[in-house]
Amino acid sequence: MSAVLSPAARSVPTTREIAGEKKMLLAFWVTGFLALMVGIAIGVLQSSNYAGVDLYPYLQPFLKSYYQGLTMHGVLNAYVFTFFTISGWLMYLPARELKLRPNMGLAWFTYALMLVGTLMAAYAMFDNSSSVLYTFYPPLKGSAWFYLGITVVVVASIIPLFVVLEMRARWKKANPGKLTPLVTYMSATILLMWLLAALGAGSEAVFLLDPWSLGMTHTINPLLARTLFWWTGHPIVYYWLMPGYVSIYALLPRQAGGKLVSDPLTRLAFLLLLVFSVPVGTHHQYMDPGISPMIKGVVTALTLSVAIPSLITAFTVALSLEYAGRRRGGKGLMGWWFALPWKDPSVAAQVLALVTFIFGGAGGIVNASWQLDNVVHNTLWIPAHFHLTVGTMTTLVFMGVSFWLLPHLTGRRLYSAKLALASVWLWFVGLMVWGFAGHWAGMDGVPRRAWVSGLPHDQYMQLYGGVHPALIMVGIGGAIAALGAVGYYVVFFGTLFGRKDAKAMVEIPFTEVIAGPEGSTMSRIAEHLGFWTVATLVITLAVYIPVLWPMITHPIHAPGFVLW
Amino acid sequence: MATTTHDEFEDKFHHVALRHERSWVFIAVAMTAVLFIVAVYLVVHDYGLVAKTTRFYANPDTPATLADFQGTGIKQTGPSSYNVYEMGRAWSWTPGTGTPITLPVGSHVTFYVTSGDVLHGFEVQGTSINLTAIPGVVGHVSYTFDKPGTYYIICNEYCGAGHQAMIGKIVITGAKQS
Repeated sequence: MSAVLSPAARSVPTTREIAGEKKMLLAFWVTGFLALMVGIAIGVLQSSNYAGVDLYPYLQPFLKSYYQGLTMHGVLNAYVFTFFTISGWLMYLPARELKLRPNMGLAWFTYALMLVGTLMAAYAMFDNSSSVLYTFYPPLKGSAWFYLGITVVVVASIIPLFVVLEMRARWKKANPGKLTPLVTYMSATILLMWLLAALGAGSEAVFLLDPWSLGMTHTINPLLARTLFWWTGHPIVYYWLMPGYVSIYALLPRQAGGKLVSDPLTRLAFLLLLVFSVPVGTHHQYMDPGISPMIKGVVTALTLSVAIPSLITAFTVALSLEYAGRRRGGKGLMGWWFALPWKDPSVAAQVLALVTFIFGGAGGIVNASWQLDNVVHNTLWIPAHFHLTVGTMTTLVFMGVSFWLLPHLTGRRLYSAKLALASVWLWFVGLMVWGFAGHWAGMDGVPRRAWVSGLPHDQYMQLYGGVHPALIMVGIGGAIAALGAVGYYVVFFGTLFGRKDAKAMVEIPFTEVIAGPEGSTMSRIAEHLGFWTVATLVITLAVYIPVLWPMITHPIHAPGFVLW
Repeated sequence: MATTTHDEFEDKFHHVALRHERSWVFIAVAMTAVLFIVAVYLVVHDYGLVAKTTRFYANPDTPATLADFQGTGIKQTGPSSYNVYEMGRAWSWTPGTGTPITLPVGSHVTFYVTSGDVLHGFEVQGTSINLTAIPGVVGHVSYTFDKPGTYYIICNEYCGAGHQAMIGKIVITGAKQS
């Protein structure tokens, strides 16, 4: 093969071009982590609220209410932080893996659009005109700036798909008949899933919320809007988690001193996540009237199927770590676990994230089970659950990744490995405490998203006194995690403004695999991403048409309300 | 990413891994199948707590004008069965917030729930009653109160500044009948 003359080889980016790409990713990550910093600061107010301590009166006039704070906490952490970090990450890693230059114009355009959308939404949250929380259920009515801002951010988040598909096409042309390299395969799968997922909230925003908030329509269908929201609202959690999976599958084993056990099984897990995550959003509406019990049963069954790729992930990643631990001399049943490089803050963060994810996943099976969900629906159990999943598999993994990625992008040395390690442990312990206590309080009927500390003390104790120990633990857990965040941001800024160090130019730890994709039928079948995307769309429509039909044939015309 | 540098340790590990891989995938599929069967069984054998739809209304103000939602909102339908017509508004449950819903122990109650403004969540603490109150849709759930005592209705869907104080009361009186 004349590798030297192949088009792919000719378009290998120069050092200077790579420096431009690094700048691009750095812009995405710094913006995302700045949003997270504000979000976490407000998070402390949310967790102390549940412990019965109301800190909001001290924040006048900056933050007027718990609900304004909660709106900012949710939007900044769940949308702004994730959209920025994920978009940059999924464009940069495939570029490095394929050794191709991504379309930088589109990459910077994505960044600019996201920034504009974020500033619009931020303005509408700071002036308290849109305290509608991150789920923005109508007929509560926020300002047009809020909905238009979110619309712009969502539209921008689709663009990286085209950047990745274009690179993949270029690579395939230069390497006919070869399977897409693993990281690029993962990135394309995530972004294709996200394209299908975004159709729901995207159409809710464009067809219902934007025209309504601009005064072009006077009423809104709250049930239809809510259903379209959850079309996106469930798969979005996979859009948050899977970029973390890219690291734990394809980078972490190498960092831990091992290899990925099975490439075909990894592709299968990603493919199943693409197929199973989009059609099942209605399981967030088990308690809603207006949807037939038969459909809820089908959705329950489909949702539980998502456990399969998650269990495959548990297997493959655990085995890859076991391989690493045994390579490092770990003996016996669990010796390999202790032989992992626990002093490396990047490895520790990601392995600890996996530990919390075991509890997050178990709780998820409860939520997915229709009848069990009755007891916990909209209680504190739910945020406890997603702080153990998104709060770790995305946030803690990306914190861990940043310990090598920031030096890689800036050429500066990691500020303090010791502080970095301490910060991830604090984050882990804090979220475990809050997660455990939140699940407990939720089972006893403490609702989520309620300004309970604003109630008179007697009433608070009458309603929630029975689980006050658990609620105090929620506050303590939040405070411990916040301490971890303080440590983390010292390392973050310390690295960004730290000393240049030639040795800090870390290579990306792309892992080697034990069982490769060559000769695997599964990998061949999984390669047809276009087919699988269309198949997923067909399944999604088959589930959603019967859900949406009664809502469209029985339209509700509800006026808007501003009640905060 | 290429497969490289195989050695004896890796080959041995891989051999064991393949065996475990097969049993793990089998366990995953079997577990999901069991969960699937249980889910379908519970759909068929509904025990009353499933949120069901009574009616859609194009104008969400309509339910408030219906006879069922007037007066106390409580109707006896049998020796120990009742219908309760529940209207959620920012920030009260009617009936429940002004005057408690008082019923004898052993009552089998069907709650018909809707909203007069935004979304609310009808949750009765200590039970598995949980239903979204949506303007323009009336939904219903059933529950039998076997234990006497005071139950709190809590709004669990954010509905504005007074959301946390949207509380109602159900008082179940008398001794448990055998």
